Amino acid sequence: MNTVNARRPFVYLCIAGVLALGSAVITGLTPPPAPPSTATQEAPPPAPAAGCEQQKVDSLRPEGPLPPPGQMPPGSTMDTILKRDRLIAGVDQGKYRLGFRNPTNGELEGSDIDVVKMIAQAIFGDPNKVQYVVLNIADRAQAAADGRVDVVVNSFTVTCERQKLVEFSTAYVAAAQKILVPTASGVTDVKQLAGQRVCTSRGSTTEVVLRKPEYNLDVVTYPNLPDCVLDLQRGRVAAVSSDDIILAGLAAQDPQTRVVGGALDEARYAVGMNKSQPDLVRFVNAVLEKGRDDGSLLASNQKWMGQQLQVVPRPAEAAYRD
Amino acid sequence: MSVETRTDVPPGTAAPAEARRMLRTLARGTATPDRLRRVGAVLVVGCVVFALVSLFDGLARSGDVRDAGQRIAVVRADAAELYRSLADSDAMATSGYVAGGIEPADVRARYDADIASAADRIVHAAGLLPADDPAAEHIKTISQQLPVYNGLIETARVYNRQGLPLGQSYLDSGSKLMRSTILPAVDKLRMLENEALSRAYGEGIAFPFIVLVLGIAVLAGLVDVTLREQRRTNRTLNLGLAGAAVAMVLALLWWSVALLVGAAQISQASTHRTAATALDDARIQVLQARSNESLVLVARGGGSADSEFTKLLEKVLGPNDNGGLLADAQQAGVQVESIRSAAIGWREAHRKVREADDNGNFPEAVKLAVGPDPTGSGATFERLDAALGLALDTQRKAFDDNAGAASAALAGLMAGPTVLALIAAGAVIGGVARRVGEYR
Repeated sequence: MNTVNARRPFVYLCIAGVLALGSAVITGLTPPPAPPSTATQEAPPPAPAAGCEQQKVDSLRPEGPLPPPGQMPPGSTMDTILKRDRLIAGVDQGKYRLGFRNPTNGELEGSDIDVVKMIAQAIFGDPNKVQYVVLNIADRAQAAADGRVDVVVNSFTVTCERQKLVEFSTAYVAAAQKILVPTASGVTDVKQLAGQRVCTSRGSTTEVVLRKPEYNLDVVTYPNLPDCVLDLQRGRVAAVSSDDIILAGLAAQDPQTRVVGGALDEARYAVGMNKSQPDLVRFVNAVLEKGRDDGSLLASNQKWMGQQLQVVPRPAEAAYRD
Repeated sequence: MSVETRTDVPPGTAAPAEARRMLRTLARGTATPDRLRRVGAVLVVGCVVFALVSLFDGLARSGDVRDAGQRIAVVRADAAELYRSLADSDAMATSGYVAGGIEPADVRARYDADIASAADRIVHAAGLLPADDPAAEHIKTISQQLPVYNGLIETARVYNRQGLPLGQSYLDSGSKLMRSTILPAVDKLRMLENEALSRAYGEGIAFPFIVLVLGIAVLAGLVDVTLREQRRTNRTLNLGLAGAAVAMVLALLWWSVALLVGAAQISQASTHRTAATALDDARIQVLQARSNESLVLVARGGGSADSEFTKLLEKVLGPNDNGGLLADAQQAGVQVESIRSAAIGWREAHRKVREADDNGNFPEAVKLAVGPDPTGSGATFERLDAALGLALDTQRKAFDDNAGAASAALAGLMAGPTVLALIAAGAVIGGVARRVGEYR
């Protein structure tokens, strides 16, 4: 078969064509890699605190006069703190005039901080021997219960629920829950806010009050109250609710807002401590007793809240159960 | 036969009729010249098809590789630098706050430079991305949220200047936006571009199956016909056909050499990219760790919130200080000893910060964290960041060189083999015409 014939080159090309087409089809059919799933799950909101029997309003009676600073009874909790050379206090740094970080010098200041300093003064004779630990509102009770801090002085309202975890001192100030609204909104009462978004700190007593069905509010919560003010300033919430003392500090930072309405709830702030340290509770109560007697508690309130509140809160009366 | 048809056809349609007649003869003619023409036609078609396939495949490949080196890699570098600028701006904003009072001028200047550089990078990257690119969505997120972030930080500054603690809430809010929305978007952008780069390079140097199969078939046909013609005519080689075969061999060689050289360059480029990615990742961990150090101090959350720092640095250094991202970079050929010792030095300085804070000495901790002390955390962090930046620049430069070389190697693919195949087609026509001419 030595003649000229186009069949073989033709067959070669045909085979190559089929192979080429086949590979092109296979490449085209291969599915591109699927992008990884980006679904996320959001944590459910924390359940509101369960009901509780009647709260105790009283605390443990001081054991006589305060020992001189630097000479705590051997073996006592105060002696341990003295030997450590610093008091560990759980505070807030975002509540203007109560417990806040002064941005110009980085120091913590406020009426709550003054209470901490009084305790430190009584133990060491030096109000500055304090290690401050800033706590989220929802962590306050647990921090005292697990011994992370010696004392919690953080606008800590006495409640029956928290009394299961911590021992409270006598109350050092009384407050009333109110609402902070933009001045231009014209809102004067919580009833006008039905169906609207109202913000407070997560795990606070005010959250429980706001969630009462009678108010019909859309409650928004953040770990700390100032975050609520950011939302208020951006118009994302209609109002912020907390105790009047705290709201006064917020209103002082934004002249376009004001504190309005009647008291939704009463609150009494006390120092929270570990239940297994009754000697420290009695000691702190003695410090507070001294503060009431010599007027230093009132002077502190006057210093920090005199400008904001028409009636400067008076130190709450002490009540003891023993 | 031919005379009859020609008389039937009206003038003007003579040319198409002539073409049809010639085609018919080409397809079915039994005379040797007809058969020769038929063989020639098959070979010419083969050469031309090869030329076209080679042209398109070569275009696609050189386009892929050029795109990878000049566009995707650039966007990827933009994303990495964007991440650095933004994470650094956040670290500056928080550390400026730690010090208390008005932030130091150099910290403020560095924040401003970071934001300006980030904005530049966004515009640059956006200009390089086609509108339908999946990464465009992330660019949009970043460019929408960056002004929001800056607004929050500026508000924080205004409140700080007034001595009001609301500033800190704005700072937290801004930092949270940065860490939970903006930085993840930049990270996704970087990952997308990394994938696109791998894909483009993979396609650029993929095995050229179609081209090779077609080329070998054409070459086999040419060789087959050449040999048979030589046997049939008992003569010397048909120069046209042999020349065509040589041209096809050259075309196939061009493909092989270009792809081998390109693959070698791309392999080196990939090594540098792996190194750059590991160093980028390390730098990101370091910046986040620095932010975390500041945030823990600002929030005064105590030592428990510091575990994040340890975790971040362990990713860089590995569990025994001899692994982690730096080991990845080392495997890719980076000299990491100086970086490693700088990282260990910073961790030591950080430990002192934490020790001071955990022992209740907050002012000392702040001084160590942001003060001018050359053994403090601030200065040692700067040294580590600079060492990482230097190593990164070296790797990026090396990547660019290899990417450029790969692109150059593949640039000829779209023209060279195509021209050779067309020359082969011409040679086939010449060779066959000569042989057919012998039958006149």
